[in-house]
Amino acid sequence: MDVHAPVAAVVPTPARGEVRAERDLRLDFFRGLSLFFIFIDHVPGNVLAYATFHALAFSDAAEVFIFISGFTAALVYGRSLMRNGALLATAQIYRRVWQLYVAHIFLFVIFVAEVSYSVLVVHNAMYIEEMRVANFLETPHLAVIRALLLLFQPAFLDILPLYIVLLAGFPLVLMGLRVHRLLPFAVSATLYAATLFWGWTPHTYPAGAPWFFNPLAWQFLFVIGATAGFSRVTGVWPFPSGQWFRMLAIVVAGFCALVSLDWTIHWLYDPFPLVLAKQLWMHTLDKTDLAPLRLIDFLAIATTTMVFVRPGSGFLHGRWARPLIVCGQHSLYVFCLGIVLAVLGHFILSEFYDGVLMQAAVNLVGFAAMIGLAYLLEWYKLAARRVPDARAAAGVSE
Amino acid sequence: MARPIATLAAALIVVPLFAASAVAQSPAPAAPKPNQCAVPPDLIAADPTLPGLAKRLQDRQPVIIVAIGGASTAGVAAGSPANAYPQRLQEALARRHPGIPITVINKGIPRQTTREMIARFSADVLAAKPNLVIWETGTVDAVRGMEVDEFATALDDGISKLRAGGAAVMLVNMQFNPSLASVIDFGPYLDAIDRAADLDDVYLFDRYQIMRYWSDNGRFDLVDVPSGKQAALAGEIYRCLGETMADAIDRAAR
Repeated sequence: MDVHAPVAAVVPTPARGEVRAERDLRLDFFRGLSLFFIFIDHVPGNVLAYATFHALAFSDAAEVFIFISGFTAALVYGRSLMRNGALLATAQIYRRVWQLYVAHIFLFVIFVAEVSYSVLVVHNAMYIEEMRVANFLETPHLAVIRALLLLFQPAFLDILPLYIVLLAGFPLVLMGLRVHRLLPFAVSATLYAATLFWGWTPHTYPAGAPWFFNPLAWQFLFVIGATAGFSRVTGVWPFPSGQWFRMLAIVVAGFCALVSLDWTIHWLYDPFPLVLAKQLWMHTLDKTDLAPLRLIDFLAIATTTMVFVRPGSGFLHGRWARPLIVCGQHSLYVFCLGIVLAVLGHFILSEFYDGVLMQAAVNLVGFAAMIGLAYLLEWYKLAARRVPDARAAAGVSE
Repeated sequence: MARPIATLAAALIVVPLFAASAVAQSPAPAAPKPNQCAVPPDLIAADPTLPGLAKRLQDRQPVIIVAIGGASTAGVAAGSPANAYPQRLQEALARRHPGIPITVINKGIPRQTTREMIARFSADVLAAKPNLVIWETGTVDAVRGMEVDEFATALDDGISKLRAGGAAVMLVNMQFNPSLASVIDFGPYLDAIDRAADLDDVYLFDRYQIMRYWSDNGRFDLVDVPSGKQAALAGEIYRCLGETMADAIDRAAR
């Protein structure tokens, strides 16, 4: 089953009290956008990185991706839970977890190829200390097992393990949501607070390296997304939505945007005056533990976005929004391709030439490849749905 | 293989051009082969200044500099500390300020994190009563994937500690490594050093960009070095770093 299938295909008849709506294209659009930003940020030294989400916020594309993933997971599996029961919904979730896991291992193999190549090509004693990162090639028996256990997360292979762990625990969240719409939120908030307070950090390989995304902290954002997404199943919005709340969110998001923009400009052009950096900058850095300042800013941005971008906003049906939406609808594959492309892009930039023109070329080819893959998957999905034989074949091969 | 061809082309075209222009612009001091080390002025920051050091040089007082860092400060790749950049810096400064006793003490120890270096500040650095501390750090933290915010906090702590001990501080960031950047994510750590320097008003010697400039312009091939020539290449680069650092100190200490 494709979890991104249009709602109508999943739920033929709405349950009582269930909000029947067209697919919320905002989710697809912003998830697609975050995929592009993640690609841009993963190409080392990319000039476009100054123009991503982070330029206007303390948080970045990772928060967008995890929040929307939680939201859509609750939407899709929540409906399945109501219709098919806990067992089948759990099975569906674990099928997705398995896909993510296979994708992670595939990316790991590509990473190993990249490192092996670099290590064999670089002949320079000055880099002995830096090459130690490659020392898993000397102990592959340990490294491979740890990679299989998600305990070895080399650079850029960090967000999928987080997603896998969060989704693996998701059946519990769903059950909790069924008991009370704010139960998982309360448990999750407590775990987040305890994690920050006692500094709990799961460690990975090599010894001492933390999970780049601490799942004990990031689960909170995923559960917030899920709690919000479950409202599409029950029809009851669980969070405050009054005028004052929206105004507060807009003020907070606006303030953080101004401060972040000031920093971005200052760090590009030194004479530009820097405000509040001494007080705030250090507190925005802790991406590993999802620093409260990042979380608050992100939630304010999400609320502001919901206020200003309505589900039926015209631009979502515009021509230029379409590629992003299609990418967002096939996010797993596009995400993995984005990481592979970033690694290849870096390879080209470092191996041949890394001028601005080449960077532009790498960015353009990367965008085109991601959009091309998304359209291919979309075409395949629609074609398979039209032709019964192909549908059966797709079911078998999937 | 495109790389040797590209490097050769760069060597044939870029180097003579640049060498010619460098000679025309600045009649360099009597340093050996200054052109190979030359970098554009915007890669050497002019501020924040080092007024304490400037005063000592003006008063012709002895100057003590301690360099603390990792393998590339200790000079491991070049065979010994005698070939490392602190030694070259001392020679370059002595040549520029004849008659003033200038000592650069090398306290590089390989494979230490920022926190581990801070732990030996009082014994290894402040005990020598330095006027300037050159602090080369970040590599091990990035290689081990330490949390960036903890790295930034450690930098901040270390800077305060050195200043409380009465020394001016010059931060030195990582070596440029053209092939491992997609394997080790230096970006966030380079940014953290950049921003810590900015916020704490500390002079940053941008070794990463300087070496990148040398690599991009074909001054040095950092990737494919025959095994017999690796120590010699490291020695050459450390000499150039020492020269460029002396430029930086002269520019900031006025």
